[in-house]
Amino acid sequence: MKLGSIKYLTGEGVKSAWVNRLMSLASIGVLVACMVIIGLAILISENVNVAVGKLEQQNVVMVYMKDYSWALYNKQEAETEDTTSKETDSETEKKETDENGIGEDDYLIHNDEEANALCDKIEKLENVSEVEFVSSEEGLKTIKESMLEGQEEYFTFLDEEYGNPLPNAAKVHMKDMAKFDETIKQIKKMDEVSSIQSQDDLAETIAAIKDGIGVAGIWIISILMIIALVIVSNTIRVTMYNRKLDISIMKAVGATDAFVRIPFVVEGVIIGLISAVIAEVLLYFCYRIATETIISALGTSDIVKYGDMAWILLLVFIGIGIIAGVLGSVIIITKYLKHEGSEFSAF
Amino acid sequence: MEEQLLSSESFAPSKPIIEFRGVSKTYPGGTHALKDVNIKINKGEFVFVVGSSGAGKSTFMKLIMREEKANTGIIKVNGFNLTNMKRKQVPLLRRTMGIVFQDFRLIPTMNVFQNVAFAMYVVGETGSHIRREVSKALSKVGLGDKARSMPNQLSGGEQQRVGLARALVNSPDLIIADEPTGNVDPNMSYEIVNMLTEINKQGTTILMVTHDHNLVRDFKHRVIMLDGGMIVADNAGGDAE
Repeated sequence: MKLGSIKYLTGEGVKSAWVNRLMSLASIGVLVACMVIIGLAILISENVNVAVGKLEQQNVVMVYMKDYSWALYNKQEAETEDTTSKETDSETEKKETDENGIGEDDYLIHNDEEANALCDKIEKLENVSEVEFVSSEEGLKTIKESMLEGQEEYFTFLDEEYGNPLPNAAKVHMKDMAKFDETIKQIKKMDEVSSIQSQDDLAETIAAIKDGIGVAGIWIISILMIIALVIVSNTIRVTMYNRKLDISIMKAVGATDAFVRIPFVVEGVIIGLISAVIAEVLLYFCYRIATETIISALGTSDIVKYGDMAWILLLVFIGIGIIAGVLGSVIIITKYLKHEGSEFSAF
Repeated sequence: MEEQLLSSESFAPSKPIIEFRGVSKTYPGGTHALKDVNIKINKGEFVFVVGSSGAGKSTFMKLIMREEKANTGIIKVNGFNLTNMKRKQVPLLRRTMGIVFQDFRLIPTMNVFQNVAFAMYVVGETGSHIRREVSKALSKVGLGDKARSMPNQLSGGEQQRVGLARALVNSPDLIIADEPTGNVDPNMSYEIVNMLTEINKQGTTILMVTHDHNLVRDFKHRVIMLDGGMIVADNAGGDAE
Protein backbone atom coordinates (compact mmCIF):
# COMPACT_ATOMS: atom_id res chain seq x y z
CA MET A 1 0.00 0.00 0.00
CA LYS A 2 1.26 3.46 -0.92
CA LEU A 3 2.24 5.97 1.78
CA GLY A 4 -0.38 8.36 0.43
CA SER A 5 -3.09 5.73 0.88
CA ILE A 6 -1.98 5.04 4.46
CA LYS A 7 -2.09 8.78 5.20
CA TYR A 8 -5.52 9.04 3.63
CA LEU A 9 -6.92 6.05 5.51
CA THR A 10 -5.45 7.18 8.82
CA GLY A 11 -6.93 10.62 8.25
CA GLU A 12 -10.30 9.03 7.52
CA GLY A 13 -10.09 7.07 10.78
CA VAL A 14 -9.26 10.19 12.80
CA LYS A 15 -12.01 12.13 11.06
CA SER A 16 -14.49 9.35 11.71
CA ALA A 17 -13.61 9.24 15.43
CA TRP A 18 -14.17 13.02 15.55
CA VAL A 19 -17.41 13.00 13.55
CA ASN A 20 -18.79 10.31 15.90
CA ARG A 21 -17.29 12.02 18.93
CA LEU A 22 -20.26 11.49 21.23
CA MET A 23 -20.22 7.76 20.63
CA SER A 24 -16.42 7.74 20.79
CA LEU A 25 -16.56 9.57 24.15
CA ALA A 26 -19.03 7.05 25.53
CA SER A 27 -16.74 4.21 24.45
CA ILE A 28 -13.71 5.94 25.91
CA GLY A 29 -15.60 6.33 29.21
CA VAL A 30 -16.40 2.63 29.45
CA LEU A 31 -12.96 1.57 28.25
CA VAL A 32 -11.30 3.83 30.83
CA ALA A 33 -13.45 2.25 33.55
CA CYS A 34 -12.42 -1.24 32.38
CA MET A 35 -8.76 -0.27 32.24
CA VAL A 36 -8.82 1.36 35.69
CA ILE A 37 -10.38 -1.78 37.18
CA ILE A 38 -7.79 -3.96 35.44
CA GLY A 39 -5.05 -1.59 36.69
CA LEU A 40 -6.41 -1.76 40.23
CA ALA A 41 -6.49 -5.56 40.02
CA ILE A 42 -2.85 -5.53 38.92
CA LEU A 43 -1.85 -3.12 41.70
CA ILE A 44 -3.76 -5.09 44.35
CA SER A 45 -2.23 -8.36 43.20
CA GLU A 46 1.21 -6.77 43.19
CA ASN A 47 0.69 -5.49 46.74
CA VAL A 48 -0.54 -8.91 47.89
CA ASN A 49 2.44 -10.51 46.18
CA VAL A 50 4.78 -8.20 48.07
CA ALA A 51 3.03 -9.02 51.35
CA VAL A 52 3.08 -12.73 50.56
CA GLY A 53 6.71 -12.46 49.56
CA LYS A 54 7.49 -11.08 52.99
CA LEU A 55 5.60 -13.95 54.57
CA GLU A 56 7.53 -16.34 52.38
CA GLN A 57 10.77 -14.85 53.57
CA GLN A 58 9.68 -15.36 57.14
CA ASN A 59 8.66 -18.94 56.45
CA VAL A 60 12.07 -20.39 57.10
CA VAL A 61 12.82 -24.09 57.12
CA MET A 62 15.39 -25.21 59.67
CA VAL A 63 17.46 -28.13 58.46
CA TYR A 64 19.38 -29.84 61.28
CA MET A 65 22.57 -31.63 60.36
CA LYS A 66 23.95 -35.02 61.36
CA ASP A 67 26.50 -33.24 63.42
CA TYR A 68 29.30 -35.14 65.19
CA SER A 69 29.60 -32.56 67.99
CA TRP A 70 25.94 -33.12 68.68
CA ALA A 71 26.57 -36.87 68.73
CA LEU A 72 29.31 -36.30 71.30
CA TYR A 73 26.84 -34.30 73.37
CA ASN A 74 24.36 -37.15 73.27
CA LYS A 75 27.05 -39.63 74.20
CA GLN A 76 28.20 -37.48 77.10
CA GLU A 77 24.65 -37.22 78.34
CA ALA A 78 24.29 -40.99 78.16
CA GLU A 79 27.55 -41.46 80.13
CA THR A 80 26.34 -39.09 82.87
CA GLU A 81 23.13 -40.97 83.19
CA ASP A 82 25.14 -44.20 83.42
CA THR A 83 27.31 -42.91 86.23
CA THR A 84 24.39 -41.70 88.29
CA SER A 85 22.53 -44.94 87.87
CA LYS A 86 25.76 -46.84 88.57
CA GLU A 87 25.31 -49.17 85.70
CA THR A 88 28.27 -51.17 84.41
CA ASP A 89 31.13 -49.31 82.62
CA SER A 90 31.41 -52.02 80.06
CA GLU A 91 27.91 -51.25 78.90
CA THR A 92 28.82 -47.55 78.30
CA GLU A 93 31.96 -48.43 76.45
CA LYS A 94 30.03 -50.79 74.26
CA LYS A 95 27.64 -47.97 73.27
CA GLU A 96 28.73 -47.22 69.75
CA THR A 97 25.44 -45.82 68.58
CA ASP A 98 23.19 -42.98 69.80
CA GLU A 99 19.61 -43.36 70.85
CA ASN A 100 18.58 -43.32 67.17
CA GLY A 101 20.86 -46.22 66.39
CA ILE A 102 23.26 -44.08 64.40
CA GLY A 103 26.95 -44.70 64.91
CA GLU A 104 29.65 -42.03 65.22
CA ASP A 105 30.89 -42.80 61.77
CA ASP A 106 27.44 -42.01 60.40
CA TYR A 107 27.69 -38.40 61.52
CA LEU A 108 28.79 -36.75 58.33
CA ILE A 109 29.29 -33.22 59.59
CA HIS A 110 32.42 -32.94 61.66
CA ASN A 111 33.41 -29.34 61.15
CA ASP A 112 32.24 -25.97 59.74
CA GLU A 113 33.70 -26.77 56.35
CA GLU A 114 31.47 -29.81 55.96
CA ALA A 115 28.50 -27.84 57.30
CA ASN A 116 29.06 -25.11 54.73
CA ALA A 117 29.38 -27.75 52.00
CA LEU A 118 25.94 -29.03 52.96
CA CYS A 119 24.58 -25.48 52.85
CA ASP A 120 25.97 -25.09 49.33
CA LYS A 121 24.41 -28.42 48.33
CA ILE A 122 20.99 -27.29 49.59
CA GLU A 123 21.36 -23.89 47.92
CA LYS A 124 21.83 -25.63 44.57
CA LEU A 125 18.27 -26.98 44.72
CA GLU A 126 16.03 -25.25 42.17
CA ASN A 127 13.47 -23.89 44.58
CA VAL A 128 15.93 -22.67 47.23
CA SER A 129 16.60 -18.97 47.19
CA GLU A 130 18.94 -18.62 50.16
CA VAL A 131 20.67 -20.79 52.76
CA GLU A 132 22.22 -19.45 55.95
CA PHE A 133 24.50 -21.57 58.08
CA VAL A 134 23.45 -21.45 61.73
CA SER A 135 26.11 -22.92 63.99
CA SER A 136 24.99 -24.71 67.12
CA GLU A 137 26.28 -21.77 69.21
CA GLU A 138 24.30 -19.24 67.19
CA GLY A 139 21.23 -21.47 67.39
CA LEU A 140 21.45 -21.66 71.17
CA LYS A 141 21.96 -17.91 71.40
CA THR A 142 18.88 -17.28 69.27
CA ILE A 143 16.77 -19.65 71.34
CA LYS A 144 17.90 -17.99 74.57
CA GLU A 145 17.07 -14.57 73.16
CA SER A 146 13.62 -15.70 72.16
CA MET A 147 12.85 -17.08 75.64
CA LEU A 148 10.92 -15.21 78.26
CA GLU A 149 12.83 -13.96 81.28
CA GLY A 150 13.85 -16.88 83.47
CA GLN A 151 13.20 -19.54 80.88
CA GLU A 152 16.56 -19.11 79.17
CA GLU A 153 18.23 -20.27 82.41
CA TYR A 154 17.28 -23.83 81.58
CA PHE A 155 19.30 -23.67 78.36
CA THR A 156 22.18 -21.93 80.17
CA PHE A 157 22.13 -24.72 82.69
CA LEU A 158 22.08 -27.39 80.00
CA ASP A 159 24.89 -25.71 78.13
CA GLU A 160 27.06 -25.32 81.21
CA GLU A 161 26.45 -28.83 82.50
CA TYR A 162 26.35 -30.88 79.35
CA GLY A 163 27.37 -28.63 76.50
CA ASN A 164 25.30 -27.18 73.68
CA PRO A 165 22.30 -29.44 72.99
CA LEU A 166 21.74 -28.07 69.45
CA PRO A 167 23.30 -29.43 66.27
CA ASN A 168 24.54 -27.21 63.45
CA ALA A 169 21.70 -26.16 61.19
CA ALA A 170 20.89 -24.50 57.89
CA LYS A 171 18.22 -21.83 57.60
CA VAL A 172 16.59 -22.39 54.18
CA HIS A 173 14.49 -19.83 52.29
CA MET A 174 12.35 -21.05 49.38
CA LYS A 175 11.40 -19.29 46.17
CA ASP A 176 7.99 -20.79 45.59
CA MET A 177 5.83 -22.11 48.37
CA ALA A 178 3.82 -24.16 45.88
CA LYS A 179 6.88 -26.44 45.57
CA PHE A 180 7.38 -26.59 49.32
CA ASP A 181 6.71 -30.34 49.83
CA GLU A 182 8.80 -31.33 46.84
CA THR A 183 11.77 -29.28 48.10
CA ILE A 184 11.45 -30.67 51.63
CA LYS A 185 11.58 -34.20 50.18
CA GLN A 186 14.74 -33.34 48.23
CA ILE A 187 16.42 -31.99 51.38
CA LYS A 188 15.34 -35.00 53.45
CA LYS A 189 16.99 -37.33 50.96
CA MET A 190 20.39 -35.82 51.74
CA ASP A 191 22.45 -38.13 53.98
CA GLU A 192 23.89 -35.24 56.04
CA VAL A 193 20.43 -34.08 57.13
CA SER A 194 19.20 -35.24 60.48
CA SER A 195 15.79 -33.57 60.71
CA ILE A 196 13.75 -30.69 59.36
CA GLN A 197 11.61 -28.17 61.19
CA SER A 198 9.07 -26.30 59.07
CA GLN A 199 5.68 -24.58 59.10
CA ASP A 200 3.79 -26.65 56.55
CA ASP A 201 0.46 -24.87 57.15
CA LEU A 202 1.88 -21.42 56.44
CA ALA A 203 3.48 -22.69 53.24
CA GLU A 204 0.15 -24.11 52.10
CA THR A 205 -1.67 -20.87 52.93
CA ILE A 206 0.88 -18.79 51.03
CA ALA A 207 0.64 -21.06 47.99
CA ALA A 208 -3.18 -20.91 48.12
CA ILE A 209 -3.18 -17.08 48.33
CA LYS A 210 -0.85 -16.83 45.34
CA ASP A 211 -2.94 -19.26 43.30
CA GLY A 212 -6.15 -17.44 44.26
CA ILE A 213 -4.76 -14.08 43.20
CA GLY A 214 -3.58 -15.53 39.90
CA VAL A 215 -6.96 -17.10 39.09
CA ALA A 216 -8.95 -14.02 40.17
CA GLY A 217 -6.64 -11.79 38.10
CA ILE A 218 -7.15 -13.89 34.97
CA TRP A 219 -10.93 -13.84 35.42
CA ILE A 220 -11.09 -10.09 36.04
CA ILE A 221 -8.89 -9.30 33.05
CA SER A 222 -10.75 -11.74 30.76
CA ILE A 223 -14.21 -10.42 31.66
CA LEU A 224 -13.14 -6.80 31.31
CA MET A 225 -11.41 -7.51 28.01
CA ILE A 226 -14.66 -8.95 26.67
CA ILE A 227 -16.52 -5.85 27.89
CA ALA A 228 -13.91 -3.63 26.21
CA LEU A 229 -14.28 -5.55 22.96
CA VAL A 230 -18.07 -5.30 23.00
CA ILE A 231 -17.92 -1.56 23.69
CA VAL A 232 -15.47 -0.79 20.89
CA SER A 233 -17.42 -3.07 18.54
CA ASN A 234 -20.63 -1.17 19.24
CA THR A 235 -19.03 2.18 18.54
CA ILE A 236 -17.57 0.88 15.31
CA ARG A 237 -20.93 -0.62 14.39
CA VAL A 238 -22.58 2.80 14.74
CA THR A 239 -19.80 4.43 12.68
CA MET A 240 -20.16 1.71 10.10
CA TYR A 241 -23.90 2.26 9.68
CA ASN A 242 -23.27 5.99 9.48
CA ARG A 243 -20.81 5.31 6.71
CA LYS A 244 -22.90 2.77 4.85
CA LEU A 245 -23.03 5.05 1.84
CA ASP A 246 -19.24 5.45 1.78
CA ILE A 247 -18.79 1.69 2.08
CA SER A 248 -21.23 1.00 -0.76
CA ILE A 249 -19.34 3.42 -3.01
CA MET A 250 -16.00 1.98 -1.96
CA LYS A 251 -17.19 -1.52 -2.83
CA ALA A 252 -18.65 -0.32 -6.14
CA VAL A 253 -15.41 1.25 -7.31
CA GLY A 254 -13.33 -1.77 -6.33
CA ALA A 255 -11.93 -1.09 -2.87
CA THR A 256 -10.58 -4.21 -1.21
CA ASP A 257 -12.03 -5.38 2.11
CA ALA A 258 -8.75 -4.45 3.80
CA PHE A 259 -8.98 -0.90 2.45
CA VAL A 260 -12.57 -0.55 3.69
CA ARG A 261 -11.55 -1.94 7.07
CA ILE A 262 -8.54 0.29 7.79
CA PRO A 263 -10.31 3.57 8.74
CA PHE A 264 -12.50 1.64 11.19
CA VAL A 265 -9.48 -0.08 12.71
CA VAL A 266 -7.73 3.30 13.00
CA GLU A 267 -10.81 4.69 14.74
CA GLY A 268 -10.87 1.73 17.14
CA VAL A 269 -7.18 2.10 17.91
CA ILE A 270 -7.54 5.86 18.49
CA ILE A 271 -10.35 5.20 20.98
CA GLY A 272 -8.20 2.53 22.66
CA LEU A 273 -5.10 4.72 22.90
CA ILE A 274 -6.93 7.78 24.25
CA SER A 275 -8.58 5.51 26.83
CA ALA A 276 -5.17 4.10 27.83
CA VAL A 277 -3.70 7.53 28.53
CA ILE A 278 -6.77 8.71 30.48
CA ALA A 279 -6.85 5.45 32.47
CA GLU A 280 -3.17 5.83 33.40
CA VAL A 281 -3.65 9.37 34.71
CA LEU A 282 -6.91 8.53 36.50
CA LEU A 283 -5.45 5.42 38.12
CA TYR A 284 -2.45 7.39 39.34
CA PHE A 285 -4.68 9.79 41.26
CA CYS A 286 -7.00 7.03 42.54
CA TYR A 287 -4.06 4.96 43.74
CA ARG A 288 -2.38 7.94 45.34
CA ILE A 289 -5.49 8.78 47.35
CA ALA A 290 -5.99 5.11 48.30
CA THR A 291 -2.39 4.57 49.41
CA GLU A 292 -2.27 7.81 51.41
CA THR A 293 -5.41 6.72 53.24
CA ILE A 294 -4.06 3.23 53.91
CA ILE A 295 -0.68 4.52 55.06
CA SER A 296 -2.23 6.98 57.47
CA ALA A 297 -4.76 4.41 58.78
CA LEU A 298 -2.46 1.39 59.12
CA GLY A 299 0.87 3.10 59.47
CA THR A 300 2.42 0.65 57.05
CA SER A 301 4.83 1.65 54.34
CA ASP A 302 4.96 -1.74 52.63
CA ILE A 303 2.87 -0.55 49.67
CA VAL A 304 3.95 -0.75 46.04
CA LYS A 305 4.75 2.70 44.62
CA TYR A 306 2.80 3.73 41.52
CA GLY A 307 6.02 4.93 39.91
CA ASP A 308 7.38 1.37 40.00
CA MET A 309 4.36 0.11 38.08
CA ALA A 310 3.58 3.14 35.87
CA TRP A 311 5.28 1.89 32.69
CA ILE A 312 3.95 -1.64 33.04
CA LEU A 313 0.42 -0.33 33.57
CA LEU A 314 0.69 2.07 30.63
CA LEU A 315 1.89 -0.77 28.41
CA VAL A 316 -0.93 -3.01 29.63
CA PHE A 317 -3.50 -0.26 28.94
CA ILE A 318 -2.07 0.46 25.49
CA GLY A 319 -2.11 -3.26 24.79
CA ILE A 320 -5.73 -3.56 25.89
CA GLY A 321 -6.64 -0.45 23.87
CA ILE A 322 -4.99 -1.70 20.71
CA ILE A 323 -6.33 -5.25 21.04
CA ALA A 324 -9.87 -4.02 21.78
CA GLY A 325 -9.65 -1.43 18.98
CA VAL A 326 -8.30 -3.75 16.33
CA LEU A 327 -10.32 -6.84 17.23
CA GLY A 328 -13.54 -4.95 17.92
CA SER A 329 -13.47 -3.16 14.58
CA VAL A 330 -12.19 -6.09 12.52
CA ILE A 331 -14.88 -8.45 13.86
CA ILE A 332 -17.69 -6.00 13.14
CA ILE A 333 -16.58 -4.77 9.74
CA THR A 334 -15.68 -8.27 8.51
CA LYS A 335 -19.10 -9.50 9.53
CA TYR A 336 -20.70 -6.55 7.78
CA LEU A 337 -18.72 -6.93 4.58
CA LYS A 338 -19.46 -10.64 4.45
CA HIS A 339 -23.20 -10.28 4.86
CA GLU A 340 -24.23 -6.83 3.65
CA GLY A 341 -21.24 -4.85 2.45
CA SER A 342 -21.15 -6.23 -1.07
CA GLU A 343 -24.76 -5.28 -1.80
CA PHE A 344 -23.92 -1.78 -2.90
CA SER A 345 -26.59 -1.52 -5.55
CA ALA A 346 -29.37 -2.46 -3.11
CA PHE A 347 -28.22 0.19 -0.66
CA MET B 1 -31.30 18.22 -28.89
CA GLU B 2 -31.20 17.11 -32.50
CA GLU B 3 -27.41 17.19 -32.39
CA GLN B 4 -27.47 15.06 -29.26
CA LEU B 5 -29.77 12.52 -30.86
CA LEU B 6 -27.53 12.20 -33.90
CA SER B 7 -24.63 10.93 -31.84
CA SER B 8 -25.99 7.41 -31.69
CA GLU B 9 -23.54 5.73 -33.98
CA SER B 10 -22.10 2.70 -32.24
CA PHE B 11 -18.45 2.21 -31.67
CA ALA B 12 -17.25 -0.62 -33.91
CA PRO B 13 -17.92 -3.81 -31.93
CA SER B 14 -15.14 -6.29 -31.46
CA LYS B 15 -14.74 -9.15 -28.95
CA PRO B 16 -17.26 -9.69 -26.12
CA ILE B 17 -16.75 -7.72 -22.93
CA ILE B 18 -19.75 -9.43 -21.34
CA GLU B 19 -20.79 -13.00 -22.05
CA PHE B 20 -23.62 -15.03 -20.47
CA ARG B 21 -23.90 -18.73 -21.32
CA GLY B 22 -26.90 -20.64 -19.97
CA VAL B 23 -27.11 -18.38 -16.90
CA SER B 24 -29.89 -18.92 -14.38
CA LYS B 25 -30.40 -17.31 -11.03
CA THR B 26 -32.88 -18.38 -8.38
CA TYR B 27 -33.02 -16.56 -5.07
CA PRO B 28 -33.28 -18.49 -1.78
CA GLY B 29 -37.00 -17.67 -1.55
CA GLY B 30 -37.54 -19.58 -4.81
CA THR B 31 -37.87 -16.59 -7.15
CA HIS B 32 -36.49 -17.42 -10.58
CA ALA B 33 -34.90 -14.11 -11.50
CA LEU B 34 -33.09 -15.24 -14.65
CA LYS B 35 -33.69 -18.36 -16.75
CA ASP B 36 -31.11 -19.74 -19.12
CA VAL B 37 -29.83 -16.39 -20.37
CA ASN B 38 -27.39 -16.43 -23.29
CA ILE B 39 -25.99 -13.13 -24.48
CA LYS B 40 -22.84 -11.41 -25.71
CA ILE B 41 -22.09 -7.71 -25.44
CA ASN B 42 -19.08 -6.60 -27.41
CA LYS B 43 -16.42 -4.15 -26.39
CA GLY B 44 -17.45 -0.63 -27.41
CA GLU B 45 -21.19 -1.26 -27.59
CA PHE B 46 -23.90 0.94 -26.06
CA VAL B 47 -26.71 -1.24 -24.75
CA PHE B 48 -30.02 -0.31 -23.21
CA VAL B 49 -31.50 -2.92 -20.88
CA VAL B 50 -35.26 -2.54 -20.62
CA GLY B 51 -38.09 -4.44 -19.03
CA SER B 52 -40.86 -4.07 -16.49
CA SER B 53 -40.36 -4.37 -12.72
CA GLY B 54 -39.39 -7.92 -11.78
CA ALA B 55 -38.25 -8.72 -15.32
CA GLY B 56 -34.74 -9.56 -14.10
CA LYS B 57 -32.88 -6.33 -15.01
CA SER B 58 -31.43 -5.80 -11.53
CA THR B 59 -30.32 -9.41 -11.26
CA PHE B 60 -28.75 -9.17 -14.72
CA MET B 61 -26.73 -6.12 -13.60
CA LYS B 62 -25.87 -7.62 -10.19
CA LEU B 63 -24.49 -10.71 -11.86
CA ILE B 64 -22.27 -8.57 -14.09
CA MET B 65 -20.98 -6.62 -11.07
CA ARG B 66 -20.57 -9.91 -9.19
CA GLU B 67 -22.87 -8.71 -6.47
CA GLU B 68 -24.75 -11.96 -6.93
CA LYS B 69 -23.59 -15.37 -8.08
CA ALA B 70 -25.36 -17.34 -10.78
CA ASN B 71 -26.74 -20.76 -9.86
CA THR B 72 -25.88 -22.22 -13.23
CA GLY B 73 -24.09 -21.10 -16.37
CA ILE B 74 -20.95 -19.18 -17.19
CA ILE B 75 -20.47 -15.42 -16.95
CA LYS B 76 -17.42 -13.65 -18.34
CA VAL B 77 -16.89 -9.92 -17.84
CA ASN B 78 -13.87 -7.93 -18.97
CA GLY B 79 -11.74 -11.06 -19.16
CA PHE B 80 -12.79 -12.30 -15.71
CA ASN B 81 -14.60 -15.60 -15.41
CA LEU B 82 -17.15 -14.89 -12.69
CA THR B 83 -18.24 -18.50 -12.30
CA ASN B 84 -15.57 -19.52 -9.80
CA MET B 85 -14.25 -16.08 -8.96
CA LYS B 86 -12.76 -15.75 -5.48
CA ARG B 87 -14.03 -13.02 -3.19
CA LYS B 88 -10.69 -11.22 -3.14
CA GLN B 89 -10.70 -10.93 -6.95
CA VAL B 90 -14.03 -9.08 -7.00
CA PRO B 91 -12.43 -5.63 -6.38
CA LEU B 92 -10.15 -6.20 -9.38
CA LEU B 93 -13.20 -6.88 -11.57
CA ARG B 94 -14.99 -3.78 -10.29
CA ARG B 95 -12.00 -1.58 -11.03
CA THR B 96 -12.57 -2.32 -14.70
CA MET B 97 -16.07 -0.84 -14.54
CA GLY B 98 -17.69 2.41 -13.50
CA ILE B 99 -21.10 2.38 -11.87
CA VAL B 100 -23.69 5.13 -12.08
CA PHE B 101 -26.57 4.90 -9.62
CA GLN B 102 -30.12 6.13 -10.00
CA ASP B 103 -29.93 7.89 -6.59
CA PHE B 104 -26.50 9.47 -7.38
CA ARG B 105 -24.87 8.18 -4.16
CA LEU B 106 -22.85 11.30 -3.48
CA ILE B 107 -21.35 11.65 -0.01
CA PRO B 108 -23.09 14.74 1.40
CA THR B 109 -20.13 15.80 3.57
CA MET B 110 -17.73 15.88 0.61
CA ASN B 111 -17.63 18.50 -2.12
CA VAL B 112 -17.82 17.62 -5.82
CA PHE B 113 -14.06 17.27 -6.21
CA GLN B 114 -13.78 15.05 -3.11
CA ASN B 115 -16.67 12.86 -4.20
CA VAL B 116 -14.97 12.12 -7.50
CA ALA B 117 -11.49 11.82 -5.96
CA PHE B 118 -12.90 9.35 -3.43
CA ALA B 119 -13.21 6.75 -6.20
CA MET B 120 -9.50 7.13 -6.91
CA TYR B 121 -8.38 7.14 -3.26
CA VAL B 122 -10.12 3.85 -2.55
CA VAL B 123 -8.27 2.08 -5.33
CA GLY B 124 -4.96 3.34 -3.97
CA GLU B 125 -4.28 6.36 -6.18
CA THR B 126 -2.67 9.40 -4.61
CA GLY B 127 -1.47 12.96 -5.08
CA SER B 128 -1.19 14.93 -8.27
CA HIS B 129 -2.50 12.07 -10.45
CA ILE B 130 -5.82 12.30 -8.60
CA ARG B 131 -6.01 16.08 -9.02
CA ARG B 132 -5.31 15.82 -12.75
CA GLU B 133 -7.75 12.99 -13.45
CA VAL B 134 -10.56 14.44 -11.32
CA SER B 135 -10.29 17.79 -13.11
CA LYS B 136 -10.36 16.00 -16.45
CA ALA B 137 -13.45 13.93 -15.48
CA LEU B 138 -15.30 17.00 -14.16
CA SER B 139 -14.55 18.90 -17.38
CA LYS B 140 -15.91 15.97 -19.42
CA VAL B 141 -19.26 16.21 -17.63
CA GLY B 142 -19.27 20.01 -17.76
CA LEU B 143 -18.74 20.61 -14.06
CA GLY B 144 -15.21 22.02 -14.09
CA ASP B 145 -16.41 25.16 -12.31
CA LYS B 146 -18.38 23.30 -9.62
CA ALA B 147 -15.50 21.39 -8.05
CA ARG B 148 -15.86 23.13 -4.67
CA SER B 149 -19.66 22.94 -4.53
CA MET B 150 -21.36 20.64 -2.06
CA PRO B 151 -23.87 18.08 -3.42
CA ASN B 152 -26.84 19.88 -1.85
CA GLN B 153 -25.95 22.98 -3.84
CA LEU B 154 -26.40 21.11 -7.13
CA SER B 155 -29.49 20.23 -9.18
CA GLY B 156 -30.46 16.57 -9.71
CA GLY B 157 -28.92 16.59 -13.17
CA GLU B 158 -25.69 18.10 -11.89
CA GLN B 159 -25.51 15.55 -9.10
CA GLN B 160 -25.91 12.75 -11.62
CA ARG B 161 -23.13 14.27 -13.72
CA VAL B 162 -20.89 14.15 -10.62
CA GLY B 163 -21.84 10.47 -10.33
CA LEU B 164 -20.92 10.04 -13.97
CA ALA B 165 -17.56 11.79 -13.42
CA ARG B 166 -16.91 9.45 -10.50
CA ALA B 167 -17.67 6.43 -12.71
CA LEU B 168 -15.34 7.77 -15.39
CA VAL B 169 -12.41 8.90 -13.31
CA ASN B 170 -10.69 5.51 -13.11
CA SER B 171 -10.95 5.13 -16.93
CA PRO B 172 -13.06 1.95 -16.88
CA ASP B 173 -13.66 -0.27 -19.91
CA LEU B 174 -17.32 -0.65 -19.00
CA ILE B 175 -19.87 1.71 -17.51
CA ILE B 176 -22.93 0.27 -15.86
CA ALA B 177 -25.65 2.84 -15.40
CA ASP B 178 -28.63 1.74 -13.34
CA GLU B 179 -31.48 4.03 -14.41
CA PRO B 180 -29.25 7.12 -14.38
CA THR B 181 -32.08 9.29 -15.67
CA GLY B 182 -34.66 8.06 -13.17
CA ASN B 183 -34.33 11.06 -10.86
CA VAL B 184 -33.72 13.86 -13.34
CA ASP B 185 -35.93 15.94 -15.61
CA PRO B 186 -36.43 14.90 -19.28
CA ASN B 187 -34.03 17.50 -20.70
CA MET B 188 -31.31 16.47 -18.35
CA SER B 189 -32.03 12.81 -19.21
CA TYR B 190 -31.13 13.49 -22.83
CA GLU B 191 -28.03 15.40 -21.74
CA ILE B 192 -26.86 12.49 -19.57
CA VAL B 193 -27.44 9.88 -22.28
CA ASN B 194 -25.71 12.15 -24.75
CA MET B 195 -22.70 12.32 -22.42
CA LEU B 196 -22.72 8.55 -22.11
CA THR B 197 -22.83 8.30 -25.88
CA GLU B 198 -19.81 10.62 -26.15
CA ILE B 199 -17.95 8.44 -23.65
CA ASN B 200 -19.00 5.38 -25.67
CA LYS B 201 -17.53 6.93 -28.82
CA GLN B 202 -14.16 6.94 -27.10
CA GLY B 203 -14.35 3.15 -26.72
CA THR B 204 -16.02 2.62 -23.35
CA THR B 205 -18.79 0.03 -23.33
CA ILE B 206 -22.04 1.34 -21.84
CA LEU B 207 -24.74 -0.80 -20.30
CA MET B 208 -27.70 1.27 -19.22
CA VAL B 209 -30.90 0.15 -17.53
CA THR B 210 -33.82 2.43 -18.28
CA HIS B 211 -37.58 2.66 -18.18
CA ASP B 212 -37.63 5.68 -20.45
CA HIS B 213 -38.94 4.52 -23.85
CA ASN B 214 -38.31 7.93 -25.39
CA LEU B 215 -34.59 7.63 -24.73
CA VAL B 216 -34.51 4.12 -26.16
CA ARG B 217 -36.40 5.29 -29.21
CA ASP B 218 -34.38 8.44 -29.79
CA PHE B 219 -30.89 7.05 -29.22
CA LYS B 220 -30.48 4.25 -31.70
CA HIS B 221 -28.51 1.80 -29.59
CA ARG B 222 -28.79 -1.90 -29.01
CA VAL B 223 -31.73 -2.81 -26.78
CA ILE B 224 -31.99 -5.94 -24.66
CA MET B 225 -35.49 -6.55 -23.34
CA LEU B 226 -36.03 -8.80 -20.36
CA ASP B 227 -39.31 -10.31 -19.24
CA GLY B 228 -39.91 -13.01 -16.66
CA GLY B 229 -36.17 -13.59 -16.31
CA MET B 230 -35.65 -14.24 -20.00
CA ILE B 231 -34.35 -12.16 -22.88
CA VAL B 232 -37.43 -11.62 -25.03
CA ALA B 233 -35.89 -9.16 -27.51
CA ASP B 234 -32.40 -8.13 -28.55
CA ASN B 235 -31.67 -5.94 -31.55
CA ALA B 236 -28.01 -6.89 -31.68
CA GLY B 237 -26.63 -5.97 -35.10
CA GLY B 238 -29.68 -3.77 -35.66
CA ASP B 239 -31.92 -6.62 -36.85
CA ALA B 240 -34.56 -6.27 -34.15
CA GLU B 241 -36.52 -3.44 -32.59
